[in-house]
Amino acid sequence: MSATYPRFGAEGPSPTLLDAPYWDGLRAGELRIQRCGQCARWIWTAEPLCPDCHTFDPGWEAVEPTGVVYTWTRTHRQFHPHAAVPYTTVLVELPQAGGRRVLGLYTGVDDPVIGAAVRGQFEPAAEADGWPLLRWSPA
Amino acid sequence: MTLALRGSVAVVGAGQTPYYKRGESPRSTKALVLEALIEAARDAGIDPREIDGFASWGDDPSEGTHVATTLGVHELRWSSLAWGGGGGGQVPAILQAAAAIATGQASCVAVYRGMNQAEEGRMPYAKGHFPHHYAAHGILTPVQVCAMRTQRMLEHDKVPASALEALALAGYHHAQTNPRAVAYGRPLDAEAYRASRLIAEPLRLYDCSRENDGAGAIILTSAERARHTRGKPAWILGGVQGFVRGWGELTENQDPYTSAGLVPSMVERLWRESGLTPADVDVTQVYENFTGPAVASLIDVGLVPPGPAAGDVMTVQNLTVPGGRLPVNTAGGNLADGFVHGIGVVLEAVRQIRGDSPNPVPGAQVSLLLGGPAAPQVGAVLFGSDAVV
Repeated sequence: MSATYPRFGAEGPSPTLLDAPYWDGLRAGELRIQRCGQCARWIWTAEPLCPDCHTFDPGWEAVEPTGVVYTWTRTHRQFHPHAAVPYTTVLVELPQAGGRRVLGLYTGVDDPVIGAAVRGQFEPAAEADGWPLLRWSPA
Repeated sequence: MTLALRGSVAVVGAGQTPYYKRGESPRSTKALVLEALIEAARDAGIDPREIDGFASWGDDPSEGTHVATTLGVHELRWSSLAWGGGGGGQVPAILQAAAAIATGQASCVAVYRGMNQAEEGRMPYAKGHFPHHYAAHGILTPVQVCAMRTQRMLEHDKVPASALEALALAGYHHAQTNPRAVAYGRPLDAEAYRASRLIAEPLRLYDCSRENDGAGAIILTSAERARHTRGKPAWILGGVQGFVRGWGELTENQDPYTSAGLVPSMVERLWRESGLTPADVDVTQVYENFTGPAVASLIDVGLVPPGPAAGDVMTVQNLTVPGGRLPVNTAGGNLADGFVHGIGVVLEAVRQIRGDSPNPVPGAQVSLLLGGPAAPQVGAVLFGSDAVV
C-alpha cells in the first residue's frame, strides 16, 4: 500500500515513550495494545499503571488489526499546513482487545458506516527512520 | 443530603469587557481580565481590592497570583485552576470558588477567564491536548473530536440533525436583542445554516463556537456578606464537577461515548443535592463548543429526551424567549454572543437571576449552567433567586 494518505508529522512515540511498544509493533507489522499482565485489563491509550489493579508497566499484546467502525468524521477544513483535505478519520473498536478504540485514517471510498467491519493495513514509513501507520478500510 | 453550598454562597457581581474579533483586542490578556474584575466589583458594590480569591480553568495563563498583585488586593487567600482540556473546567472553577467561601478560607472570590489570541496564539485552550494518537490520524482540533462524538449521536443514537440546527438558530435569535453579542445585527436562518460549509462532518461552520478576545468575571461571596452588597444575589443551589469512572483523559475511549460526560450518577446527585428536578429549571445556558455536545448535555440532564424524540423538544420555538418551554442560551451562547472559553454563558446564567439579561425569562427563579461538554471533566451548576433558596 502506497503512502498516498496525509501524514501530520505526529507519527512515532510520545515524549514519555509509554507508547513505544505500539510504534515498534507497527514496524514489526503488528498491532500491539497495552494489556495488564496481572489482571488482563486492556488499556488504551498507554498508561504507566493499570487503572484496575495498580500494576506498574502493564504489558502489551498483539491483536488482529480488525475491528468495527465506532464513529468517524471527514475533515474539510485544513487544520494542518500540508495535509490535503478532505480526509476521513475512523475510530475503530477492537472487540479482541476488550473493546478498546483506536484512531486511524480511513481509505474506503464510500462513507464509513458505524458498526461495519474494517481491516487495518500497515502503511510503510516514507523514510528509513520514519514510522508506519495503520490505515483502515472495509473488511 | 443537601449540598452544604446551598444558601451559603451567592454570586453578587458580574462584569465583562466587550468581545473583540480574535487577535484584535486593544489590551493584553491580563488587562482584559483586570477590566472584567473591576467591572464585576463595581457591579457588586465592593472595592476590587477586597477580592481575596481567584479561580479559573483550562490553561488560563492569567494566574490568580499575577492578577491579584496588579489589582493590589489586600490579601490573597485562595487561588485555584481547574484542570482539564476544553471547557470542562468552567463549572469546577465556580464550585471551587464556592467551596473556598463555604469553608471560610476566603470571603470574596472571583471566577474569571480572559483571552487575547494575538498574545496567546490560536486556540490557546486546546494546546497540549492533542497528543500523538490524535494528531497522527489528523485529529488536531476540538471540532474534530466533537464531530466524532456528534456523528455517533446522530448515526447510532438517531438524534435528528435538526436538534443541532435548532440550538444554533436559537442562539442567533437571542443575539439579535443583545447589543453586546458579536452576532448582534447578523441573524441566521435555516437556509444559511444549511448552506454553511462543512468543517468536520457532521459539523458545519454555524455549529461551531466563535473565538473572541475579551474577558468576563463573576464575584462570589458568603451569605452574610451577600446581604450587604448592592446587587441581587444569585445563590448557588447545587452543582457537580469532575467525572465518573469510564470518563476522563481517554483518547476517545470514554463511555458512554455520546454523553457529554454528565453521566447518570452525576446528574442524579445534581438533582438530589439541590432538591430540584429538571421541571424546576426556568432557563438554561449550555456551553456549546459545538452544537452536538451541547445537545448531548441537555439530553444528559434530562431536559431533552434521547434518540429521535430529541427533535420534538429541540425546536427553535421551544428554545427561545419569551414563549419557549426550554429557553436556552438567552444571550446567544458561545455561537452568537461570543466565546472567551465559555465565560459568556456563566455571565448569562447569573444575569437571568440577578437581572440585566438581554432576554429575561419572565419570573426566572432557577438558572442552570451546563459546562464544557465532552471534555475530560465536566460540570453543572444551579443558580437561584432569594425566593428559591
